[in-house]
Amino acid sequence: MSGKYDFKSIRPVPSADDFVDIVLSKTQRKTPTVVHQGYQIGRIRAFYMRKVKFTAESFVEKLGWILEDFPKLDDIHPFYGDLCNVLYDRDHYKLALGQLNVAKSLISTTSRDYARLLKYGDSLYRCKQLKRAALGRMCTLMKKHKSSLGYLEEVRKHLSRLPSIDPSTRTLLITGYPNVGKSSFMNKVTRADVEVQPYAFTTKSLYVGHMDYKYLRWQVLDTPGILDKPLEERNTIEMQAITALAHLQCCVMYFVDLSEQCGWTLEQQVALFDNIRPLFANKPLVIVANKIDLVPFESLSEAHRELLDKMVKDSGAELLTMSAAADMNIADVKQRACELLLERRVEMKAKSKKAAGILNRLTVAMPAARDGKDRPAFIPEGVIEARARKQAMGDANPADDEDGDVSMDGNDGKKTKKTLHQLEQEAGGPGHISFDYRRYYELRKDEFKYDVIPEIVDGKNIADFIDVDIMQKLEALEREEEERAAREEAELQAHEDAESDMDEEEKDFADRIRKKKALVVAKHREDQHKKRGRLSRKVTNATAQSAGGVQNELEEIGYDAATVEPETSARGRKRERTADPSLEAAEAEQAERDSRGRSISRTRVLEREAKSSLGTVDRAINANKRRKSSQRGFQLKARAGEADRHVVTKMPKHLFSGKRGIGKTQRR
Amino acid sequence: MANRVQFENNNEVGVFARLTNSYALVCQGSSEGFYSVFESELADQIPVIHASVAGCRFLGRVCVGNRNGLLLPNSCSDRELQHIRNALPDRVVVQRVEERLSALGNCIATNDHVALVHTDLDRETEDIIADVLGVEVFRQTIAGNALVGSYCVFTNQGGMVHPKTTTEDLEELSSLLQVPLVAGTVNRGSDVLGAGLIANDWSAFCGADTTSTELSVIESIYKLDGTMGGPSRPGAAVGASAATSAGPSSAGQSKTQGSVSADIRASLIDTMT
Repeated sequence: MSGKYDFKSIRPVPSADDFVDIVLSKTQRKTPTVVHQGYQIGRIRAFYMRKVKFTAESFVEKLGWILEDFPKLDDIHPFYGDLCNVLYDRDHYKLALGQLNVAKSLISTTSRDYARLLKYGDSLYRCKQLKRAALGRMCTLMKKHKSSLGYLEEVRKHLSRLPSIDPSTRTLLITGYPNVGKSSFMNKVTRADVEVQPYAFTTKSLYVGHMDYKYLRWQVLDTPGILDKPLEERNTIEMQAITALAHLQCCVMYFVDLSEQCGWTLEQQVALFDNIRPLFANKPLVIVANKIDLVPFESLSEAHRELLDKMVKDSGAELLTMSAAADMNIADVKQRACELLLERRVEMKAKSKKAAGILNRLTVAMPAARDGKDRPAFIPEGVIEARARKQAMGDANPADDEDGDVSMDGNDGKKTKKTLHQLEQEAGGPGHISFDYRRYYELRKDEFKYDVIPEIVDGKNIADFIDVDIMQKLEALEREEEERAAREEAELQAHEDAESDMDEEEKDFADRIRKKKALVVAKHREDQHKKRGRLSRKVTNATAQSAGGVQNELEEIGYDAATVEPETSARGRKRERTADPSLEAAEAEQAERDSRGRSISRTRVLEREAKSSLGTVDRAINANKRRKSSQRGFQLKARAGEADRHVVTKMPKHLFSGKRGIGKTQRR
Repeated sequence: MANRVQFENNNEVGVFARLTNSYALVCQGSSEGFYSVFESELADQIPVIHASVAGCRFLGRVCVGNRNGLLLPNSCSDRELQHIRNALPDRVVVQRVEERLSALGNCIATNDHVALVHTDLDRETEDIIADVLGVEVFRQTIAGNALVGSYCVFTNQGGMVHPKTTTEDLEELSSLLQVPLVAGTVNRGSDVLGAGLIANDWSAFCGADTTSTELSVIESIYKLDGTMGGPSRPGAAVGASAATSAGPSSAGQSKTQGSVSADIRASLIDTMT
């Protein structure tokens, strides 16, 4: 319900006496109460002026609340305006509020006047009298409006008890003669609990109930029954129904009692319908033939049926039959009425400007054919079959629709494959298992799946060289190869045929040559095999060898061949018997080295390398320096090294024990 | 049926998968939960394969494809390309395109017959799209957005576009694409449909935030309820026709998903204005 029609929040209106009491006691409480004759006159005046002004303000404030809270009949929805007119009499209501408004302005005038007079009050007594006069006039003024206040309080009480009808929402309005079953229907479709009694005018005011349909909230308005008489003669109870009918944009449900148990004949009911039909203009209308459990529609007399038909035809309404007491067709009636109203409302709203904003989201654009091309959907057969199967299952047992999937799997008897997720869960959750994503490769042969294809070959990305028709090219190449081979074969054949012009003797000779050749080759190979082992250095040294050869060999092994040069040359010269002692020594060394084999020279090579690891003189000096500086700390502490943790005695006992006389300390 | 899915607590499922009528590409997550949703739904009909593009998981936004082919961006490595080629059936042409706008999934939206593309796409790419995917190509914007792949999702059966698309644009797009179109949202009001929704001709997957209203719209516009070419009329939702079509035909099974969404829409007009 919108806040606009929240009549429950109107503040209570006190009676005139209470009003005065409230305001005066408030003044007493909220303004200073002590004043003395001895005060300066200005202070005394201010004291009383404050009292007067405060009282006036309180009155004005409270009256303002009343004027503000009560709905202004011209501003509210015409339905409420008229309802208030019917219930409380518009003139009376307006008069009461108008009087209070006048009282409000009079009170503020009085306050202003007396405040002005108080300025001239020359003693405490006079000031007090002026205050009394002012407050007295205000109170008298309020007491004059005793009846208005009483009336407004009654109105307030009644308003707050009015059902909260939202005039702009979706409404079903039930109307008809008294006792035709309106309230029974209301009780059936909503949660409202309207009194149902078997006498006329059980329902004496409007009742509202709520129900849900199509995800929307609907209000159902139950109205008092109306009789067939001119508008002027209608009483307040009927007028409420008429007001609702006239002003609410709703779906009207006109109830007709087929059984005539309500006390009015069908003719009378039709006559009433015709009487109030102007009120139904531009509203969806449903004529509900009630109580068909007592008089079935089929058993109606011809005349009655004609009467109803005519009524339906004239009004363009829909005739629905139901029985509220026997629970027949109630849902259908409700649904139809709602549909009619919703349709009407949507139609109207779609036309309005506001709807344009959301209409694009409610529109489904259907394509206009642009060419003759057919653009079909591609749905696999399997899906269509599964759907058909499900449809069939659904038709077979619609109650079982919810767990259709489960039962379908069961009925198929087909063992469903486990999903990767299930496998993963079985293996102990994510991270415990890794899947082979090549398994679903669609290749010509299954064993191709796991072929290892390098990404880079010879520094080239093989993907760059992939040719889409490599297979065709390969085939063509193979075919060409075959052709070539066949051609060569043929050529060879032809050649052989042409060359075989040798006679028998020559052929034999050639044969023998070939055999001999084969033997030689075989022998050679065998020998080669025997000589595979290498000769030792001694043997090779023993054999005459060129210096170049040694050098080469050494280089091959990985030694610096340059150092070999003088020795070999020395050896070369030895044969000439030179008396050079250094050469002699070299020769002796060489001999010794030879006798000791390679091992000695190896150590020497290593030694030399170790020495040269210090490299240049600079590096050696530097290393020495660093060694010294690293030892400096230890030397200062007289420690041998890091491991030396010897602690010398700090206080030698012999120096610190014994008596100390007057003599010298050191003489102990 | 439309399914609600999440990828590692993320509702933008369209980022992590690409679905067409002949294959589905799914990115590799830390668990197989996401993959298995697709697997259980689709694996009987089409290959559902793990893939990545440039080592990343957002493959749904960077590749685009339909029944006939698949386009991958330049950032896709040879190995990934080879993996996809091996896994897809031979009749699906896999092609890598040199395109400056490398988020192809955002820039191209396609079904098996028509494609909408970003207005700044290369002419060469346009030709490749037409050849590889076998579609007619139109340069279009959706509600002023050039990223057509992000703001619309359509199949051969129907499509959804950005919620701010005007009625006129809807009509125009619909006649271009030759499918029924509706402006809508996924993931509780998200307008980035491409990210929130993936669909093919018989199934759809959307983020777990998607409301049931959104879901019913999705199911009726993509004709996932199984009434193929039948009386399911998503168009019934328009204005007054909504109320009439929904009518009193409440008899049991005949009340399809379509009419439910029509109901909701009629109610929407009534409440929102």
